[in-house]
Amino acid sequence: MGAYHFRLPDIGEGVAEAEIAAWHVKVGDAVAEDQTLVDVMTDKATVDMTSPVEGVVTAIHGDPGQMVPVGSVLVELEVEGRGNVTERTAAPAPAPVSVFERPARHEADDAPEAPAVRAPLAAPATRRRAQEAGIALETVTGTGPGGRILRQDVEAHIASAGKGQAVSGRSPKAAVHDERITGLRRKIAERMEQAARIPQITYVEEVDVTELEALRQDMNAHREESEPRLSLLPFLIRALVRVLPEFPRMNAHFDAEAAMLRRFEGAHVGIATQTGNGLMVPVIRHAEARDLDDCARELARLAQAARDGTVSRGELSGSTITITSLGALGGIATTPMLNPPEVAIIGPNRIVDRPAIQGGLLSVRKVMNISSSFDHRIIDGQDAALFIQRLKRLLEHPALIFMDRET
Amino acid sequence: MTANRLDLYIPEPDARPGDQPRFGDLHLCGPGEVRRPDTRTDEAEMRDLPYGLIRVLDDQGNAVGRWAPSIATDVLRKGLRAMMVTRATDDRLFRAHRQGKTSFYMKSSGEEAIGAAQSLALAPGDMCFPTYRMLAWLIARDYPLAHFTNQIFSNEKDPLKGRQLPILMSARDYGFYSLSGNLGSRYGHAVGWAMASAYRHDHRIAIAHVGEGTTAEGNFHEALTFASTYRAPCIMCVTNNQWAISTFSGMAAGNVETFATKGIAYGIPGLRVDGNDFLAVWSATRWAAERARANLGPTLIELFTYRAAGHSTSDDPNRYRPAHEAEAWPLGDPVERLKQHLITLGEWDEDRHAALTDEVAEQVRSAVKEAEAIGTLGQSKPPVDEMFEDVFAQPDWRVIEQRQELER
Amino acid sequence: MPVMNMIQALNSALDVKLSQDPDVLIFGEDVGYFGGVFRVTEGLQKKHGLKRCFDTPISEGGIIATAIGMGAYGLRPVAEIQFADYILPAFDQLISEAARLRYRSGGEFWAPITVRAPYGGGIFGGQTHSQSPEALFAHVTGLKTVIPSNPHDAKGLLIASIESDDPVIFLEPKRLYNGPFHGRPDEAAKTWAGDPSAEVPEGHYTVPLGKAAVVREGTEATVLAYGTMVHVAKAGIADSGVDAELIDLRSIVPLDIDTIVESVAKTGRCVILHEASRYAGFGGELSALVQERCFWALRSPIRRVTGWDTPYPHAFEWDYFPGPARLAEALRGVVEEN
Repeated sequence: MGAYHFRLPDIGEGVAEAEIAAWHVKVGDAVAEDQTLVDVMTDKATVDMTSPVEGVVTAIHGDPGQMVPVGSVLVELEVEGRGNVTERTAAPAPAPVSVFERPARHEADDAPEAPAVRAPLAAPATRRRAQEAGIALETVTGTGPGGRILRQDVEAHIASAGKGQAVSGRSPKAAVHDERITGLRRKIAERMEQAARIPQITYVEEVDVTELEALRQDMNAHREESEPRLSLLPFLIRALVRVLPEFPRMNAHFDAEAAMLRRFEGAHVGIATQTGNGLMVPVIRHAEARDLDDCARELARLAQAARDGTVSRGELSGSTITITSLGALGGIATTPMLNPPEVAIIGPNRIVDRPAIQGGLLSVRKVMNISSSFDHRIIDGQDAALFIQRLKRLLEHPALIFMDRET
Repeated sequence: MTANRLDLYIPEPDARPGDQPRFGDLHLCGPGEVRRPDTRTDEAEMRDLPYGLIRVLDDQGNAVGRWAPSIATDVLRKGLRAMMVTRATDDRLFRAHRQGKTSFYMKSSGEEAIGAAQSLALAPGDMCFPTYRMLAWLIARDYPLAHFTNQIFSNEKDPLKGRQLPILMSARDYGFYSLSGNLGSRYGHAVGWAMASAYRHDHRIAIAHVGEGTTAEGNFHEALTFASTYRAPCIMCVTNNQWAISTFSGMAAGNVETFATKGIAYGIPGLRVDGNDFLAVWSATRWAAERARANLGPTLIELFTYRAAGHSTSDDPNRYRPAHEAEAWPLGDPVERLKQHLITLGEWDEDRHAALTDEVAEQVRSAVKEAEAIGTLGQSKPPVDEMFEDVFAQPDWRVIEQRQELER
Repeated sequence: MPVMNMIQALNSALDVKLSQDPDVLIFGEDVGYFGGVFRVTEGLQKKHGLKRCFDTPISEGGIIATAIGMGAYGLRPVAEIQFADYILPAFDQLISEAARLRYRSGGEFWAPITVRAPYGGGIFGGQTHSQSPEALFAHVTGLKTVIPSNPHDAKGLLIASIESDDPVIFLEPKRLYNGPFHGRPDEAAKTWAGDPSAEVPEGHYTVPLGKAAVVREGTEATVLAYGTMVHVAKAGIADSGVDAELIDLRSIVPLDIDTIVESVAKTGRCVILHEASRYAGFGGELSALVQERCFWALRSPIRRVTGWDTPYPHAFEWDYFPGPARLAEALRGVVEEN
């Protein structure tokens, strides 16, 4: 058996480096000759790199988004025969004794086994970087001595953009995730920005809110003095935070210059509000942790504060997604303008009575359009449509908003 | 042949609880018996004095012998009053402790003549480096009693700003140096202060006190060494009140030699003085002051007295000494003896004394009321900012930050 | 500008203050006619008179008690303790009295005294002529503790100490009296000649207490040191190849926390170097402060390079003494730890 090192070949006209776009193999995979190993991208093209040999992957180098120089080893394989590594690579250096691990003592010393689970090891500066990037250190693989997570491990993790966690429960979530916009997406973004300052896509859908309105009116009719009157907005907010975890890119900030998409687990919902001083967007912070009444109270408080001019700077910043509602002036459809650096904005339109055929009978339904706009550099039309369709389902069957688990 | 075996000796007092008080080996002299040399006499010519006991007042209240001073009678009455105010204040504030108005108190009962006589015998600019049984010094110099009580109560008007244990006073303007709980630690300060006064060609002198128990501390001997070496203009006092908490004076070798003899090895003249005799204390202090002001150096004075009360509010002397030992003290009570002297002089009588007793009681009552109106311990305290003041001349960042941290 | 070694610079500081302020007087064991066992007070008695600079009994407690009393009177005494190792009999005076007097008296009395003491090792002095007790003083609030590392600072800091209204413990690294010492005992001893810090103005100037000096700027790690260890640190940094910033604290009370924090926030790594033994040494306080104020900037654990937790051992002086090699190893270590 021999070792085979697959190096990044010069795949263009004198390019010095390429960006890793996607891996198609992992350590331990058996690969056939010509099987795709990795997609890399240069200024000009995305290229799938295939294996020149048959073998088993023993190591891969580089994470998606990372630039790798031509000639560097991308994949290490174990192959039949001698392979292409003439010198045996140096034996791995003895691991330095970590300050966290006692060096082995005497053989006779029956030290208890270290606990299998332990807190991730990382320097404070590394922890801060991870915290700022919204990365749980438990999800990062440490390459330092004793498995310590190094600064570069965090950077690599950021670059590899770990999958968003599912949202459950109503505890506030502080985590934010920086997702490097890589590969084609990055190119698209760059091209899109050249085409228009902020390229947006607008999507309008019709929502039957008859059930929702019935529920809302019934609830209002049975409210105590102390309980807030419910408008449609709190229901919309609750539906939105219900849907957002499935579409993590919707609840995000896009920094085109850094090619960085910062995804938030917490939903800070901006409410575009018309005031005497013009348009303001006070923010309902951590809407994911608020129940319906909570949302309603906070809406009322912020709206009043905005109109009074007592709203604080802090209450006017930090939104991650925005709702814009003109209420009774809602019109049939609007083209909401994004609230940068957010990537999505939802605009409910006016509720109107419409004739509808149901079960062969003509009936009158309460219908409302939802107009929405998305940053087209990040959100494709299909994702926009799926997102709004999902929202529509919840609004049309409001029980789903409040169910712990949908079936 | 019997071997001479070693045997450890542990000294013990003559009497313990249940015993009759015994003061068998006190080496007392009669009033007027001790000679009074000229202050310019060489120390080597006066080595009989530490073994004597300077007494002026006889049992009838007459001032007798060479040490009898001439003191204006209004000074004597002032001294009497100061002793009475001190005693009444002690009684009142000791009770206040039992009422939860303060955390701690120490009485100077039986020793009032020392503070009162020395305070009046010395000049206003002189500095006393006192023990905690020198309240009479302050009272004799008219320190406001309410201020003192505020310190005892650690209230908002506490002159020491809530920082110091009750009774550990400081009163610079009254010639009363800052007290500390560490025994003897200011004895050498008095020497340094006196050396500084000499260096500046000043006229002021220092007077310092330790108890007889503290003569066992290094501080005591260091200070005497410096005082002797540099002929510091200071009066070094040992208040021998027989008891250091429960430790009798023999534990400081007081059953071997008098404490006044400690000066001999340093070439410092030693006087042994009846501490319950206002006139003897006054006279000996004046003698020592005269030497100091004449650049003749220090004098060591043993003030022979008896601690009539417990060590402090935390102490019960009945646990370690006979219950009526104080009454049996052969040198009597300083207040009674000065009162008798004034009566003998025809300058005082029982009616005036009774009237003064009432007046003093009212003075103390009113001062304590005044302090109580501000607040007693826990009811009132200085602004907490005071906790962070005077740590350094200028607060450093630690003090500033920690004050902010506390106030958060 | 005149070139002085540290002895001459300290002598000059005392000379300046004796000339300037009649309230300053100097005393201690052997300091008068003889001029001190390290010659710091040489010639001062002859020039300024018997009463300005005089000998004392061999009584450290008595020396400090006397100084406090003089300070309370209104003078500014400068007391010498012949070796810092001998200061312990005066500990009660320093802690219970000098440090507390202003506070406990409600500001009525204070002790503006300066206590000079030759200190530290590197001279084969054995246990009782080599110790570094600075942490004992630093722990006592109300005392200032100053440790110069070169002639220029020594003079300016001593004048500032004498002029301070607080009691100051002024520790003089005796290995630096005659020349800088980089912790390499095998090399020929150097003198201060040619060292820029040996250029000492003749007259009055001060180096303020509580202002550290950035001796060397660097980006990869911060080295905190004072006294002899400043010179050891220079050598250790050079050996390590690490681009370390070297801070000479100059006084540990008051401490220039701002300069420390600014540096560690920049470098993300901190190595503390002192000659005193490690456990509960001043490095422990420095480490805690850096941790409290720079935690999120730290890229590696804070390290202490110090004397061992043994008494100062005579024959093993260079095994005990934290030399440049140990600092270099620590610096390389913290950089590798990332």
